[in-house]
Amino acid sequence: MWFGIIRNWTVLFLMGGLIGLVLPQVDSSQLSPAEIIDKVDHMLRGDSSQGRVEMAVVTRRWERNITMEIWSEGTEKALIKVLQPKKEAGTTTLKVGSDMWNYLPKIDRTIRVPTSMMMGSWMGSHFTNDDLVKESRLIRDYEIEIVYEGDREGIEVYEFQLTPHPEAPVVWGKMLYQVRKGDLMPTWAEYYGEDGELKRTMTFSDYREMSGRLVPTRSRMVPQDKPEEYTEMIYHELHFDIPIPKGTFSLSSLRR
Amino acid sequence: MIALRLGWRNLWRNSRRSLITISAVGCGYAFLIVLIGLTVGMAGQMLKNGTGLLMGDLQLHHSDYLPERSLYDTIGSNSSSELEEVLHQLSLYPQLAGRSPRVYGFGLLSTGENSAGARLMGVDPQVELGVSSFLSGLQAGALDDSVERSLLLGDALARELEASIGSQVAIVTQAADGSLGNDLFLVSGILHTGLSYVDRSLAVLYLADLQELLVLSPNEVHEIAVKIGDPMAADAFAARLNASENWPANTVAQSWGELAPQLKDYVGLSQGMYGFIIMIIGLFTATGVLNTMMMAVFERSREIGLVSALGMPPLLIVSSILLESLFLGILGLIGGFGLGAWGMSYLTTQGLDLSRWMGELSMLGTRMDPVLKASWGWDYVIWSALGLLLATLLAALFPAVKAARLNPVQALSAPVEG
Repeated sequence: MWFGIIRNWTVLFLMGGLIGLVLPQVDSSQLSPAEIIDKVDHMLRGDSSQGRVEMAVVTRRWERNITMEIWSEGTEKALIKVLQPKKEAGTTTLKVGSDMWNYLPKIDRTIRVPTSMMMGSWMGSHFTNDDLVKESRLIRDYEIEIVYEGDREGIEVYEFQLTPHPEAPVVWGKMLYQVRKGDLMPTWAEYYGEDGELKRTMTFSDYREMSGRLVPTRSRMVPQDKPEEYTEMIYHELHFDIPIPKGTFSLSSLRR
Repeated sequence: MIALRLGWRNLWRNSRRSLITISAVGCGYAFLIVLIGLTVGMAGQMLKNGTGLLMGDLQLHHSDYLPERSLYDTIGSNSSSELEEVLHQLSLYPQLAGRSPRVYGFGLLSTGENSAGARLMGVDPQVELGVSSFLSGLQAGALDDSVERSLLLGDALARELEASIGSQVAIVTQAADGSLGNDLFLVSGILHTGLSYVDRSLAVLYLADLQELLVLSPNEVHEIAVKIGDPMAADAFAARLNASENWPANTVAQSWGELAPQLKDYVGLSQGMYGFIIMIIGLFTATGVLNTMMMAVFERSREIGLVSALGMPPLLIVSSILLESLFLGILGLIGGFGLGAWGMSYLTTQGLDLSRWMGELSMLGTRMDPVLKASWGWDYVIWSALGLLLATLLAALFPAVKAARLNPVQALSAPVEG
């Protein structure tokens, strides 16, 4: 009996050696899936960023175009201020960690978004408040693995599957995420509910250089249950790693 | 005639035993009257609270509005004259006691430090009072048209927001044009209905204020609550509205029974229960009567043998025994009715105070009053009287037939009673 166990160990050692020989050739970039996602995220965000973005929301009932200015620092802080249309100019959203506030100039009030409203729509778009708070936490909240690597329509890509950690406070059951291998540009992301059903699709396009960095300047979110509707974000201006004035991400800056 | 006299006399030959049986029938009947009274009272109270507090006897909606309650599915979304047309059509019915157009939304309420999500309801308070009672039970204050943008909060919601009368509350909501509707409102009243889901989440605004906040036209409403006074007539009235000629195609009338099927089920169930209770008590009474009559016939078998030997027709024997039992039943019912009516006179006015056992209780989405008041369900009171009489007659039938079949020779040779 002892003999048998020792023999099995030998087999394991032999197999381990073989895997060790094969693996380095497969993972050419030497990065773990989580590290790749982190890298993609950082490329699109920088240490800090400032930009002007247009959000087009198209629903069955109405269409709206909002121009906004965005500041961000790291993954935890962001300030978004509406410039156009006139009626809503000055409306500002502040995100710090998992907290979120909206400033409404018409009534001159700052309102903290309560947990119960996190799933509500943000500024009438197909994004929820929760999306804004959670977007930067993929590596923390999800188990990331590569489910496909290779050629898709002539382009070498990675396809990641993101499965939430058991305790993670997320609303998705799973996410699929495609990234071009050559320049690590995202091409699409699919969001699945806890029942495993596709809930919405985000597609990235119009890759352009902005402040010396390649970024997808257009991203479109389509809810699966309303395929004729979408929200599109178009970057018109984007600067990275610029100094952001102290106090930008504070409640007092919301009114300015 | 002789059977009547015989029956009546025989009844009092063993007056103690007869009185005991009479009082058993009487107690049974009194118990039934009170029990039915309480059940009818409870069902009526639930129905009254269920429809009268908020729902109304029936409601009109855009045919797509329920169950998603989309902001866009309004009465008036098809043409600007639709709402007016619906209200005009309603006014043609004399049984209409009141109708109130309502607008609903969902919004974020904030007092600065505290925010909470709430269901927004826009009404015209004057008109609403003619349909429902939730605005008359205001703990304090009322919608105030002397201030701009007046607001009522459910008491639990007000506590959550730490708001009181005079507080300013910001409301933010998704408006119909996609914009972020937001405005400041002044709390001018606190609402208490006893229904926790209402008190926790309802904010009431003026109809026009909410329409403005949601960017809806003044000709658009989500609901028209209708009161006709008699909830039991709601089904027929809804059917008549839906079938009427000039009724707008997209507007649907639904009775409270369709809107709150659980309430309808409860009322149906309690009616089914009366029948069951009557049956059980009838059975008990019948057993008592059967016992008494068996004893009576057994005691009198010598006598019955004698009269039948003297030529008394068997039919007369049977009817005299049946009539004796009938007297027993009628006397019991009269006494029982008196006793029951005495109990009911207390229960209909004072009621049964259950507050010792329950606090504020809501069941099936309607509030239960802590004091349960009985009410007369005359149909059931009469039916149960007839049921009890039938039971006493049936119980006497067996001994009566047995008596009529007695062989006079055997009966006469039986030992003398006592």
